[in-house]
Amino acid sequence: MLDRTRDEISRLVEPGRIHRRVYTDADIFELEMERIFGRAWLFVGHASQVPMPGDYMTADLGRQPVVMTRHHDGSIHVLLNRCTHRGPKVVNERCGRSNRLVCCYHGWTFDLDGTLVGVPVPEGCAEGFRKEEFGLARAPRVGEYRGFVFASLAATGPSFEDHIGPMKRNIDDLVDRAPAGELAFDAGMHRYAYDGNWKLQIENVLDSYHVPFGHASTVNKDGVQFARREGDQAGAKVVETKKESTAASWKERRSYTVGNGHGWTSNTSLDEGKRASPTYDAYKRALADKVGAERAEEILTPRLHNSLIYPNMSIMGLNIHVRVIRPIAVDRTEVNIYPVRLVGAPPAMNSANIRLLNVTHAAASFVQTDDLEAFARAQKGLRSTATDWVDISRGLGAEEPDRELNATRELATHEMVVRAQYKAWAGYMREAV
Amino acid sequence: MDTNVREAALPVGGVAGIDRQPFEDFIVHEARLLDARRFRDWMALFADDGTYWVPAVPDQANPLDQASLFYDDRGLMKTRIDRLEHPRIHVQSPASRTAHLVGNVVVEEADAAKGEFVIGSTVIMVESREDKQRLFAGRQRHRLRREGEAFRIVQKRVDLINCDAAFDAMAVPI
Repeated sequence: MLDRTRDEISRLVEPGRIHRRVYTDADIFELEMERIFGRAWLFVGHASQVPMPGDYMTADLGRQPVVMTRHHDGSIHVLLNRCTHRGPKVVNERCGRSNRLVCCYHGWTFDLDGTLVGVPVPEGCAEGFRKEEFGLARAPRVGEYRGFVFASLAATGPSFEDHIGPMKRNIDDLVDRAPAGELAFDAGMHRYAYDGNWKLQIENVLDSYHVPFGHASTVNKDGVQFARREGDQAGAKVVETKKESTAASWKERRSYTVGNGHGWTSNTSLDEGKRASPTYDAYKRALADKVGAERAEEILTPRLHNSLIYPNMSIMGLNIHVRVIRPIAVDRTEVNIYPVRLVGAPPAMNSANIRLLNVTHAAASFVQTDDLEAFARAQKGLRSTATDWVDISRGLGAEEPDRELNATRELATHEMVVRAQYKAWAGYMREAV
Repeated sequence: MDTNVREAALPVGGVAGIDRQPFEDFIVHEARLLDARRFRDWMALFADDGTYWVPAVPDQANPLDQASLFYDDRGLMKTRIDRLEHPRIHVQSPASRTAHLVGNVVVEEADAAKGEFVIGSTVIMVESREDKQRLFAGRQRHRLRREGEAFRIVQKRVDLINCDAAFDAMAVPI
């Protein structure tokens, strides 16, 4: 049993290794729901998912159901999706539009900001019953940056700016690619699940070490992956076929951390100079028309591959998307992946991005499926008590400051970014709520 | 006396005057190729401009503006099959075994002049891998084009009844 003390949590995380219980122990999972998902800033959804007054979408923060609404006055609210009377989830649909939120059980009716506006048979209410005290609970803190809406279920803690500030440039990197300077999350979503702990997914998004072997089935005999992006003439050289096991491009890539568990990896080397197609060229012109040719060139020069905004969201810059990680149980996780539409880009460019994401990240994709197999096998392997320790020591001590980016960097095939996640993890987990 | 109201007759016959047997034979053949993991022979059933589509949204109108589980043209189909035959496709080590059942075959549309037909059917695929067995079920529509004595698939669309659910990894076509 977990005694939940600072010492016990501290003993699970060492500089280059972590105890297998962080993946397998159901008590630790319960504590994560309380101490991490119960108070960290979590990504909820994007403002474009509730564009008009009355629009709503449901989500889960950890295991708690919430509904994000667009109020009559245009403001966005994140409400706990639980009737204040007897407890049913009030909004059942994934998304929709309504002027009121009505509980299916006894018909208690709430306004879009959670205010209780109607109780059937009010003469039965207890003496002293005050409707004002029975509004849907609100997420205590909500923050938004360029349409990305985050919420914290704790009233106190690091501010939105403290938490998200260092990662704003990673959000900018994606949003700036839209000629209109905004994104729309209106192209459906991919949903997949696996029998494994949620942290296996967030570690993986910043793991460049696994690619040549883990995704070997996606490269041809010359070690080149299928062409990913609209206008690419060839895919990335992922495996060196001659002397070495790792392609030269992987030696150039770096990973970065900025504290709070966040991190990112620099982009795969692709021959940007040769990227061209009628669709890509039209998109580039549309962007240049808005921001100028020089700035467009800068925006389209890839710098970021994956960015993790700890603990539940990542952004991918290569085949663009936003990924939301949802823990279900200690050994079960669900992930939603949104294609993002670049507002102002030619429809054909957005279609190309959507089609690419089908083959890289759908439940039936070429790339994500091999990761899912690795996650499920990790969860099985970690049942073994042969050793209690999981090694995350690659590059330990090789971290170096990047003063220009105000970050810490290391080779992307090292594991600094995983160690940074566990530093944040231990920070949350040691402190009682 | 039986007072129950009878179910209204559904137009099971489809387009009048067209023998559905050759179409049903074709669709059963296609399903058997998948069960035998003869993926290259399966791909050869598709026309050069053919597509294989499994929407991720119920009644999805368009594969180009919404995410799909599968939307492969011949080029992507080939990449997919190259991968299915790759020795290091971890998600197929061991490989899935599948059993398809197709039925309720109806000729929904026929354009004899163009030699194009839309065949509706119901598909159930049971997949077993390691110790897990799972079930996929949906309606499918094949747009077929007659080329000489044979049919080729212009589009195969499978609408899974749970297409918008979260799926564990899927590796083989339905």
